[in-house]
Amino acid sequence: MTTRLIAHSVGVMARYRLRSATVMLGSLVGVTALTLVVSLGQGMEAKVLKTVGPMLGDSSILIVSGGSRIMGSPRAGASRLTIDELTALAAELGDIEAWDPQQEVSSVVRYRETTAPAPVRVLGQSERGERVWARTVTRGQYFDAAAVSTSARVAVIGDTVARNLFGDSEPLDAEIRIGAVPFRVIGVLEPFGNDLHGMDRDDEIVVPISTLMRRLTNVDTVSAARLVVKDPGREEEIASEIGRILRARHALASDEPDDFRIVTTVEVRDTVALIRRVLRLYVPLAAAVVLLVAGIVAATLMLSSVNERVGEIGLRRAIGARPEDIRLQFATETAVSVLTGGLGGLLLGYVAARFAATRLQLGVAFSWKAVLIGLVGSAIAGLLAGVLPARRAARLQPADALR
Amino acid sequence: MIELDGISKTYRRPTGEAVHALADVSLRIERGEFVAMVGASGSGKSTLMNILGLLDAPTAGRYVFDGRDVSGLGVADQARFRNRNVGFVFQAFHLLPRTSALENVELPLLYSDRRSTDGLGRKALEAVGLADRLRHTPSELSGGQQQRVAIARALVNDPELLLADEPTGNLDVDAAAEIVRIFQALQESGRTIVLVTHDLSVAAHARRVVRLEKGRLVADGPCAPLANTQDRFDGAGIREVQR
Repeated sequence: MTTRLIAHSVGVMARYRLRSATVMLGSLVGVTALTLVVSLGQGMEAKVLKTVGPMLGDSSILIVSGGSRIMGSPRAGASRLTIDELTALAAELGDIEAWDPQQEVSSVVRYRETTAPAPVRVLGQSERGERVWARTVTRGQYFDAAAVSTSARVAVIGDTVARNLFGDSEPLDAEIRIGAVPFRVIGVLEPFGNDLHGMDRDDEIVVPISTLMRRLTNVDTVSAARLVVKDPGREEEIASEIGRILRARHALASDEPDDFRIVTTVEVRDTVALIRRVLRLYVPLAAAVVLLVAGIVAATLMLSSVNERVGEIGLRRAIGARPEDIRLQFATETAVSVLTGGLGGLLLGYVAARFAATRLQLGVAFSWKAVLIGLVGSAIAGLLAGVLPARRAARLQPADALR
Repeated sequence: MIELDGISKTYRRPTGEAVHALADVSLRIERGEFVAMVGASGSGKSTLMNILGLLDAPTAGRYVFDGRDVSGLGVADQARFRNRNVGFVFQAFHLLPRTSALENVELPLLYSDRRSTDGLGRKALEAVGLADRLRHTPSELSGGQQQRVAIARALVNDPELLLADEPTGNLDVDAAAEIVRIFQALQESGRTIVLVTHDLSVAAHARRVVRLEKGRLVADGPCAPLANTQDRFDGAGIREVQR
């Protein structure tokens, strides 16, 4: 009898397609929106972490030359950070595991007849760059200390550069020209993608800093340096120590501002933590609002559907339906609506999340948890709005329900 | 078959004022009787019928059906009782829309514990002369046909008692005559029928007429003497009865 009744209930739903569809709409909207919101939120978080993550690999301090102004770019030509100075600094501090200076220049890059479509960012680093910046090569090799001391003309190129210059052919051992200077390609950097500013970090070439300073530009200072600290707990302490030493070395009077800027990972960590907190707060909040709205929609549709059918419930009771038979019928209808609507919402939400993820370059972060919460939420709404009023109607005297 | 003993039904208005829909009604109906219940609207005849069919519970009194006291049944037992022993026919038909005549008729079987229900719906529809309308939905049927579907639904579980509340109230004269004819045939085949109406022309077909006034049983007897009494019933009905 139970099976017959369930089959009958589904048959009734099929007969009232519009009514069934509107009831389904509640869970469809709920699951779709929830999937979308949560997937995007998680995708965003993953993206932030992936981009900022490499900076968090070690406890490190970034020194940027050029001083700090409240607004605007560092003063041009103000750099006084030299490699000798940094070597002395590292020796004096002691607690430094590794450090790497960096200087950069933008340059036209060619391979035979092919010129890269735009000037490429060329970074000069020491052989320790691989370790300090936590970015290695996927093919070939990084340059060694000998290459740096001899100012060798070797280059490690990013993925975009490789694609632009070589297409499908082999970049390793090829000779490219940075400006007018020939370099031999010895490695391809591991892909990074865009950073938080949207800059393509694969459109980069890394060469020994000595080569860059001597052959590509003519400078004796570096633009930045990164120092990996041995003991993460002492990061802040070391940072202020660096500030003190550099000020003394640059002979700055006490009323003069710094001519360098120090960024610690503590600050980056704080920023990332803030972003995470915002996302972690935003996603559930948005999800809760969505769920509430969808729940109200589902409840309203269900409620009006039941109210319309009090007469039908009365008739069914008159011809022998027990209150539990009525409950079973409405529970079946709710379950079928929620499941079908939820499945539709799952599909729709998935497609929408994928589309949005591609558009926003977030990578697909599809959340099963969101789908589950959406389904459970609309099921609860459906039960509250569908089964409860049906229960009440089933408990009425049939004579009252028929009136 | 039916023994009602001191049945009362009291409603309480939101104002707290008590309304006596039925006051101390006692009534016996034997198996195979065709009883018409008449009275003005508000006289309590529909309430009485609802109590007979366990669609409503009396505030006081005892109801014995086939020697069994059914006044204290639980909800599930009430449902089983209605399903097995009573067939209802309503003024408003109460057919499920968009549902074929056959499925409407078979609806009570859904809630019955019968083993085999094959062909019962078709048989019931044949009995009311609608064998050729099995697949029609209510909106494709005339009012008279719809009420015949409802009668078939009331009969499908083969109940002893048939309760009809103003079954001709929504029908034109010809359709009403057809329904009355069906009830007569059912009575001749031994079914117990209680019919609520305020149309005396319909009541005239019953062997026994019970009259209610303000919740009290005021007359009970064969049809003719009651029909002769002058009251508020409409002219058409009275003419028909007096002919």
